[in-house]
Amino acid sequence: MDAGAVLGQLVVGLSRAMILFIVSAGLTLVLGVLRVPNVFHGSLYMVGAFVAWSVAEALGGHPSGLWLALAAAPLVTAGVGLVLERLLLSRLYHREHLMLILFTFGVMLVLNDLVKMLWGPTYRSLVPPPSLQGAVTVFGVALPRFNLVLLVAGPLVAVGLWLFAHRTRAGKVSRAAATDRDMVAALGVDVSRVFALAFAVGCFLAGLGGALVAPTTSITLGMDHSLLIDSFLIVIVGGLGNLWGALVGSLLFGVTQSVGLLVWPQFAIAFPYAVTAAVLLVRPTGLLRSAW
Amino acid sequence: MTDRRWWVLVAAVVAVSAVAGAGAAPALRFDRNIKVGVVDTYSGPPAVFATDALNGFKLALQEINRDGVHGARIEFVTRDEKFSPEIGLSMARELVLQERVDVLVGILNSATALAISAFAREQRVPAFVWIAKSEDITGAKGHRYVFSTTENTAMAGKALAEAVAKKGFTRFWLGAEDYEYGHRITNSFWRFMKRARPEATLLGQTWWRTGEPDLVPYLTQIQQARPQAVFFGTGGAGMANVLRTMKVIGFNVPTAIHTAIDVTVLRPLGAAAPEGVFGTTDYLFYYPDTPANRKFVQDFQAAYGAPPGFPAFHGYITAYFIAEGFRKARSLDRERFVDALEGLRIPTPVGEVEMRACDHQAVLPMIFGVTRRDPRFPFLVGGDLVTLPGRDVMPTCEDIETARRRAR
Repeated sequence: MDAGAVLGQLVVGLSRAMILFIVSAGLTLVLGVLRVPNVFHGSLYMVGAFVAWSVAEALGGHPSGLWLALAAAPLVTAGVGLVLERLLLSRLYHREHLMLILFTFGVMLVLNDLVKMLWGPTYRSLVPPPSLQGAVTVFGVALPRFNLVLLVAGPLVAVGLWLFAHRTRAGKVSRAAATDRDMVAALGVDVSRVFALAFAVGCFLAGLGGALVAPTTSITLGMDHSLLIDSFLIVIVGGLGNLWGALVGSLLFGVTQSVGLLVWPQFAIAFPYAVTAAVLLVRPTGLLRSAW
Repeated sequence: MTDRRWWVLVAAVVAVSAVAGAGAAPALRFDRNIKVGVVDTYSGPPAVFATDALNGFKLALQEINRDGVHGARIEFVTRDEKFSPEIGLSMARELVLQERVDVLVGILNSATALAISAFAREQRVPAFVWIAKSEDITGAKGHRYVFSTTENTAMAGKALAEAVAKKGFTRFWLGAEDYEYGHRITNSFWRFMKRARPEATLLGQTWWRTGEPDLVPYLTQIQQARPQAVFFGTGGAGMANVLRTMKVIGFNVPTAIHTAIDVTVLRPLGAAAPEGVFGTTDYLFYYPDTPANRKFVQDFQAAYGAPPGFPAFHGYITAYFIAEGFRKARSLDRERFVDALEGLRIPTPVGEVEMRACDHQAVLPMIFGVTRRDPRFPFLVGGDLVTLPGRDVMPTCEDIETARRRAR
C-alpha cells in the first residue's frame, strides 16, 4: 500500500462524503430549526433522483439534460416539501416528537408508493453527458469524471448554506428560532413562515442530493433506505441541527469507509459504524454543539 | 363443398368424438378451482424481478385456463413480502390458513424462501420457489413439500467456476453483497474453483451492504490489489451498480458474475454496462433460437411490452408444473400432487425440464457467456454462449442426501 493509493482512496471517499453532506445538511437544518426528525427526507432524495432521470430522459440524452435535471429535481422536492409543510406538518408542531416521527414515517410510505406508481419497479440509469463519462486518474486511482462535479457541488452547497444562515434575514431568524423559538416569536417574527422556508430548503437539499447521485448509481425503489440511516447517523455524530456538524460527520463517514477498505477490506463495511459508535461514546451529543 | 357443408361436417365430427371420448373414460372434473398464493417482493429494488416472474406466471395461466385442468381454473392472489422474512412468513401463514390456497409460490428473498419452506413443511403445503437461489432450499434444508423452479447457487457457482477455471487465472479476489445470496453464491463459486483448480489462491475479499449506492471505493481498492480475476456475488440493483461502476472507472480485471449476461440486468443499463464480463444465467430470450422460445418471447412481448427475463421464464414453467402436476395427480389432494410432481417432465420454451424426484429441483441448463454489444439490441447481450446441461452442474442425489443428513 503506497501513499498515492491512500490519497486516491481519500479523494474517492470525499466525493461520496459530498453527497452525504448535501443530504444530511437538509436533514439537520430541519432538525435544528423545526425540531422535526424528517423520516421522509430519504424519500425526497429518491424522488429527486427519479425526477432528474425523467427530465434528462425527456430531453433525449441531450448534454444540457443533466444540468436541467440538477436544477429541476431540487425545485420539485422543495415544492413537495412546502406543500406538505403548509398543509399538514405546520399543524403538528406543538405535538410531541413521537407524533412527528409517526407522521413523517407515514408520508415516507405514501411517497415511496407514489414513486412506485409513477415510475414503476424497474431501475433506471441516467447516463451523464459524454464530457463527464469515464474516469480520470487521481494518485493512480480511477475517479469517475462525474465525481468531480460532486467535489465541486459539496463546497458550493456549504458556502451557500453559510451565506443563507449568516447573511440573510431568513437565515438569521432560522438560527435564532433553532436556539429559542419562543423568544423569536415573542419578538413579533412570524416563525411559521421561517419554518416553511427552512423546511423547503431542507427538502431542496434532499432533492439536490438525489439528482447528484442519479448519474452515479442505479435509480431504484429503496435507494432511500441506507441513505436515510447514514444521514441520521451523520447528523447525530455531527451534533443535531449543526450544519458544520453534518459536514464533519459526512467526511468522517465517507473517508473512513473508503480508506478503511485499504486497511481491512473484509470488514470495511463496519468501519463507519464503528467510528460513529466510538464518537458517541466519547461525545454523546455529537462532535459539534447540538442545537437541541 | 360450400362453407355451410364444411361446418356441418366439422360439427358432426366434434359431436361423435365427444360422445366417443365420454364413453371411453368418464371425464374427471375437479369440483373447485385451484388456488395459488403468491408471496414475493413487490416493493423496493427487487420488485423488478418479482414483477417479471409474476408476468411469466400470468401468461402461462392464460394459456392453461383456456382449457383448464380437469375443468378447474388456476386462480391466484398476491402478497407483498417487502423483502422481509417475517412479513413473508406471516403472509404465507395467512394465505394457507385463511385464504386456504392449495399451493404457495414466489419468493425472491432466499431468507424468506427458507422461512416459508419450513412453514410449508409443517403445514404440508406444496411451495414453489421461483427466484431465490440459496442452494439450501432444495439442498440441506429441502423436504417433501418444497420445490425449486430456479437455478441455485450450487448450480451457478459450479457452472461459472468451471468455465472460468478454463481461462487459466490463479490469483482471485472475491467481492460481494453482505446477504444470504451474496454469501451463498460467493462460497459456491470459490468451492468449485478450488475443486477445478486446487492451485487457485485468494488474494482477499471485500463485502459491502446490499443497496450500497457507491461502489467506486470498493472497486478501486480491488483494482489496486491487482488480482488476475475477480468474482462478484451481487444480485438485483446491486448487480447493476457493480457493472456501471466497472464501466465508469474502466475496471480492467477479468470479472465473473452470475447473471451478468442476463437481460434483466443488462437492459436497464443500456450503454452503461461493460463489455467482456463473464456471466451465467439459465434463460435468455434470444438463445436458443428455437420455435418454442420464439413463441414464448413473442407472446410475452405482446402482453407486457418487454422481452422476458429469467424470472419470467421461471414463473412460466412454475405455472405449468402446477397445472401438469394436478392433471397427472387427477386429484386436488396435496400429497398426490407432490407424488405426481416427482420426476415430472414438462415441455418449456427451452426444451423439456424435469422436476428431479430426489430433491425437487428443476433440472435447468446453465448458459455461460460474456457481455458484448449486438447491433440488434440497444443493450449488451451474452456472446460466445455455451449451454451446460443441468445434470452436469447440479449436485448429485447422493450429495443432497449427505447435505440433508448433516443438517439433521
